[in-house]
Amino acid sequence: MADSATAATAAAPSTPRWNVERPFLTGRFHQEAKGNSRLALDSLSSGGSDRAIGCYEAAVQELVVLDDLLSALVGVEGRYISITRVRGKEDAISFHVDASMDLSLQEMAKRIFPLCQSFILISHFVESRSQFKNGLVNHAFAAALRELLLGYEAKVAQLEHQFRLGRLSIQGLWFYCQPMMGSMQALSVVIQKVSSNNFVGSAVLNLLQSQAKIMAGDNVVRSLLEKMIQQASNAYLSILERWVYEGVIDDPYGEFFIVENKSLKKESLTQDDDAKFWSERYSLKDGIPSFLANIAETILTTGKYLNVMRECGHHVQVPGSDNAKLMSSGSNHHYLECIRAAYDFASGELLNLVREKYDLMGKLRSMKHYLLLDQGDFLVHFMDIARDELSKKLDEISVEKLQSLLDLALRTTAAAADPCHEDLTCCVERSSLLKRLEDMELNRTIPDDSEFEEPLSITGLETFCLSYKVRWPLSIVISRKALMKYQLIFRFLFRCKHVERQLCGAWQVHQGVRALNPGGTAISRSSLLCRSMLKFINSLLHYLTFEVLEPNWHVMHNRLQTAKSIDEVIQHHDYFLEKCLRECLLLLPGLLKKVEKLMLLCVQYAAATQWLISSSIDITQLQEKPDNSLRSEDPKSRKSATQAQASRSMTKNAAVTNSVLKFEKEFNAEIQSLGTILSSHSQAEPYLTHLAQWILGVGKNQ
Amino acid sequence: MPREIITLQVGQCGNQIGMEFWKQLCLEHGISKDGMLEDFATQGGDRKDVFFYQADDQHYIPRAILMDLEPRVINGIQNSEYRNLYNHENIFVSDHGGGAGNNWASGYHQGKGVEEDIMDMIDREADGSDSLEGFVLCHSIAGGTGSGMGSYLLETLNDRYSKKLVQTYSVFPNQMETSDVVVQPYNSLLTLKRLTLNADCVVVLDNTALNRIAVERLHLSNPTFAQTNSLVSTVMSASTTTLRYPGYMNNDLVGLLASLIPTPRCHFLMTGYTPLTVERQANVIRKTTVLDVMRRLLQSKNIMVSSYARTKEASQAKYISILNIIQGEVDPTQVHESLQRIRERKLVNFIEWGPASIQVALSRKSPYVQTAHRVSGLMLASHTSIRHLFSKCLNQYEKLRKKQAFLDNYRKFPMFADNDLSEFDESRDIIESLVDEYKACESPDYIKWGMEDPDHILTGEGNATGTVDPKLAI
Repeated sequence: MADSATAATAAAPSTPRWNVERPFLTGRFHQEAKGNSRLALDSLSSGGSDRAIGCYEAAVQELVVLDDLLSALVGVEGRYISITRVRGKEDAISFHVDASMDLSLQEMAKRIFPLCQSFILISHFVESRSQFKNGLVNHAFAAALRELLLGYEAKVAQLEHQFRLGRLSIQGLWFYCQPMMGSMQALSVVIQKVSSNNFVGSAVLNLLQSQAKIMAGDNVVRSLLEKMIQQASNAYLSILERWVYEGVIDDPYGEFFIVENKSLKKESLTQDDDAKFWSERYSLKDGIPSFLANIAETILTTGKYLNVMRECGHHVQVPGSDNAKLMSSGSNHHYLECIRAAYDFASGELLNLVREKYDLMGKLRSMKHYLLLDQGDFLVHFMDIARDELSKKLDEISVEKLQSLLDLALRTTAAAADPCHEDLTCCVERSSLLKRLEDMELNRTIPDDSEFEEPLSITGLETFCLSYKVRWPLSIVISRKALMKYQLIFRFLFRCKHVERQLCGAWQVHQGVRALNPGGTAISRSSLLCRSMLKFINSLLHYLTFEVLEPNWHVMHNRLQTAKSIDEVIQHHDYFLEKCLRECLLLLPGLLKKVEKLMLLCVQYAAATQWLISSSIDITQLQEKPDNSLRSEDPKSRKSATQAQASRSMTKNAAVTNSVLKFEKEFNAEIQSLGTILSSHSQAEPYLTHLAQWILGVGKNQ
Repeated sequence: MPREIITLQVGQCGNQIGMEFWKQLCLEHGISKDGMLEDFATQGGDRKDVFFYQADDQHYIPRAILMDLEPRVINGIQNSEYRNLYNHENIFVSDHGGGAGNNWASGYHQGKGVEEDIMDMIDREADGSDSLEGFVLCHSIAGGTGSGMGSYLLETLNDRYSKKLVQTYSVFPNQMETSDVVVQPYNSLLTLKRLTLNADCVVVLDNTALNRIAVERLHLSNPTFAQTNSLVSTVMSASTTTLRYPGYMNNDLVGLLASLIPTPRCHFLMTGYTPLTVERQANVIRKTTVLDVMRRLLQSKNIMVSSYARTKEASQAKYISILNIIQGEVDPTQVHESLQRIRERKLVNFIEWGPASIQVALSRKSPYVQTAHRVSGLMLASHTSIRHLFSKCLNQYEKLRKKQAFLDNYRKFPMFADNDLSEFDESRDIIESLVDEYKACESPDYIKWGMEDPDHILTGEGNATGTVDPKLAI
C-alpha cells in the first residue's frame, strides 16, 4: 500500500519550480525572525517608517493602526505591524506592533492578530495543498478554502472602504471581525493538523468529520465544517461513483480505499491453487472514510461485480446513476441508499449474467455428471476401452490416447447430449491419491511422522484424473481450488469404481462355475468372500454417493436458487465441496489408509480369483471325469480310481482353500478394525456412523 | 455403443411380455411406434443404445430376437401398430408352425433343430454391438416353446457366449388353479434346471402373485393376460432403469447383478413394485416419500412372487440382498433417514452370516410418460422364501411322476428315448440342492455350509461335489 501511495505521488505531475521559488506567489514572503525579536523590531523600525508611532496622538495612531491592521488581515505587513515566521516552526507566525503605540490600541490590535494569523495559515495551506501530489481531496479542500478566503477578502475590502470613508474605528473593526474569528480559528486548527500530519485523502475527510463533531456546539462553525466536508468529499465521492457505477478505479493519487492488484490476472483463476484472484485482486486498505466504514465491503463487492461484467464484455448501466449523484451531507444518508441500490443492481445483474448467459447451473451439473459420476455410464465405457492404457506404468501412458478414448466414451454414452462434455479433459497425476492428500496435509499443518510410503509401481489406475475447462467468468465460482476438490473426490470414486469392476469380474468368474455344484467347496467359500467384498465396496460407493454427494448437492442446489450474489454462490459452492471432501473421508488420512488397505485386498483377491477358480475346476473335473467315463463299470473300481485322482489333486485343493481362507481372514480383520476406527471417530464426525452402518450392515452383531 | 443387451423372446408368453416391454421402452424414450424419435423427445441424458440401435434412416430398432414355434402371437405383433419397429430379419417362426404342444421335450428338440438359424440371428446382433454385455431372455417355464426352446437357448448361449451375462425374466405358472397344461410340473422342473445352471440371474415373475395383485390390488375381478403382462412390462422396464438412465451406480448389468446375487446358484430374484396401476385405471394418489415407497416395497402384497406366508417356515425367511430403484422426484436427503427408520423398526429380516442392507438407487423418470404419482419404486431382492416356490414345483412333479403320468409324450424325443428318464432325476436333484442351499442361507452359519469337514474332501468319497451322488444311485 505504501508502495502504491508513493507510486501515485511519483506519477503526479510536479508543480513548476518557479511556483515554489517565488514567495510572493505563494504568500510565503514573510521573513523569518532573525536572532531575537528585538533585532527584528529594530530592522522593522528602521526600514518600515521614519518615526515611531508614539509620536502621534492617539486618534492619529488609531487611523494608522487601522490601516496596518487591514493590511495584516490579508497577510501584508504594515508600517508599525510586522509579521514574521518563527524559525523552525512551519506554521507559527508572530505579530509585532511598535512598542510605542498606545497601549489600548496595542491591546485591540493583538485581539485581531489571531484572525490575521488564521488567514495567513489558511492561505498558505491553500497554496501548498493545491500541488498535484497532495491528492484530489486536498485539492478540493483547498479550493473550498480558497472560496472561503475570497469571501473573507471581500469582507476586508468592505471594511477598508468603510475605513476610507472614515466610518471605521478600531472598535468597529473588532466588532466586524468577531463573527469570522471563530470559524477561521477552527479552520486553522484543522489545517494545522492536516499539514502537520501530512494527511491526504480519506484522512482529511475523517479529520474534518471528527472536528465537526467536536465543534457540534457551535452552530456556525459546524455548518461551515460540514460545508467543507461536503466540498472536500466531492472529489472522493466521484471516485467512489465511478467505482460503484462503473467498476473502474479512477484514483490517480492513491486516495481511494480500494486498491487494485494489477499483477493478478483473471487467467490465474484456472491455475492458482488458492483462488487468490477473487479475494485479492481488489482489496480494502486502511483509511476508509468513517462515513463509509460500515458499507465499505458492499462498495468493494459492487465494483468487483461491475468489473467482472465489464471484463465479460457485458455493458451495464446502473439504473438512475445519472441523477443519483453521490452526496454526503450530514444526516442525509442519500449516498448510502445509492450505494445499496447500485450493489443490488450489480449483484443481481452479475448473478443473472453468470446464471443465464454462462449457464452456471448447467456447468455445475455437468461437473457433477463427470467428476462426481452422477452419470457414471461414460466411466463404465471408458474403463472398458482404456483398460490397457490405464494399467501401464506412469511414464508409458499416453495422455493423448487417454484423451481420445475419453472423448469416444463421452460421445457414445448419455454424456453425448450434454454440450458441456467437450470441456472435460483427462490428466495423469504424478502421485497416488493418498500421497497427494498427504502432501496437502503437510502444507496445511505440521508434518506427520507417519509418512506414507508410495507404492513403487503406480499405474494410471491410481493416478488417472479428470479435469474440466472452466472459462471466465465461471472460474470465479469454479476456481482451480474448487476444481481440485472435485478432482480429489473423483479420484477416490474412480478408485472405488475400479475395485468394484475388478470384483464384478471375480463375481463373473464364480458365475462361470455354476454348473459344477460348488456347495461346500472352496468355490462356495470364495464366492461368499467375493460377496462380502462387493458388499463392502458397494456400501462405500453407496455411502459416498447417496449419503454424501447427492444430499449435499441437493442442499447446495436449493441454496444456489435463492442466492442473491455471486459471493453467496461461491460461499455455498465452497461449503458444499468442503463438506463433501470431509464426509468422503478425504480429510481423514488415517481412515482413508484403512479403506485403501481394504480396497487393495479386494483387488488382490480379484486378481487371484481366476487362478483360484481354475485350480478348483481342475480338481472338480478330475473328480468328475472318472465318474463319467466309468459310469457303467463296477462301482467299486470306479470308487478307487476316484480316490486316487482325488488324493493327487488334494494338495492343490488345500492350497486353494487355504488361500481363500487367508484372504477371508485378512479381510474380516481389516473390516473389524475399520469398524473400530469408525466408531471411535464417530463421536467427532457423526457422519461416520452412517458409513459404519453401511459397511458393517445389520450383520455386525456376528 | 457400449454394454449392449440383446433381448430374446421365446414362445407365446415370452413374446407377449416382450412386446409389452418394448412398448414401455418406446414410451419412456419418446420413440414412436415405427421407431422414429418423437419431436418432443429432445431431452437427452437417457441411454437408448443399450436396448436399441439406430438404422441408417435414424429409426430405432430394438435389439430383440423374436422366436416362436407357432405363428399366432408373432403374426399378431406383425399386424400390430408396432410392426415396423422390429427388424424383420430377427423374427423366427418355425416352418411347420405347429408349436411345441406344451411339451418341453418337443420345444427343446425343435430348438436343437433350428439352432443354426437362431444362432445366426444372435451372432449377427452380437456382432453389431460394440461391447455386448449380455442377453435377456423372456419366456414362461410352463409351456412348451418358452420352456423347452428357452432351455435349449440357455445352454447354447452358455456355451457360445460364456463370457456374457444371461438374465431371464421367467414367468412361473399359476399354481393356485388347475392349469390347462397338465404337464406343467414336468416342464417347469426341466426348465428350472437350466435356469439354475445356465443363467446368471432369473427374475421370477410368478403368475400366481401377478393374478393376486391384479385381483386384490387393482380390483380386477378377472384379470386378462394383457393386464398381468402390463405388470410384467412395468417391472422389466423399471429393473432396467439404471441402465437406461445412468446414475451414480449400477450403470452396467454386471454391477447391478453382482451386488444382488450372493452365490452362483442363488440367483433367483423377486420383485416388488409400487404404486401398482394398470392402463386407464385411475388410482388414488398417495403421499410418496422415500420412506413410504420403501415401506410399501417390503409389503408382501406388492411382491410379485407368491409368498407362502404365515407358515412357520416362512417366518424364517430372510433377505439376502435388496436393491430399491426409486424413480422420480425425491428428496435425496431422505434416503438415509428412511433406511434408518426401516432398520430401527426391523422391517427387514436380513441374513445373519454376512453384511446386508438395503441398497438404494435413485433414478430419473422418463419425462415423456405422465403419471399421477410422483415417485415409483421397484425392489429387486434375493430372498430365501423363493425356495418355497421351487419346493412347490418339486411337490407337484413328485405327484405326477409317482403316477408315471403323461411321460409318453416325452419319451418320443431323443433326450428321453429308451425310457431314459435320468434327465428328470438330475433336474430334480439340482432343484432340491438349490432349495437346500436357500434353506441353508437362513441359518447363521451358512458360511460353513458343507465346509465343516475338510477330511470329507480328503476321502474324495462324499458329496463334496454334489453332482456325483445322484448318478451313483443309478
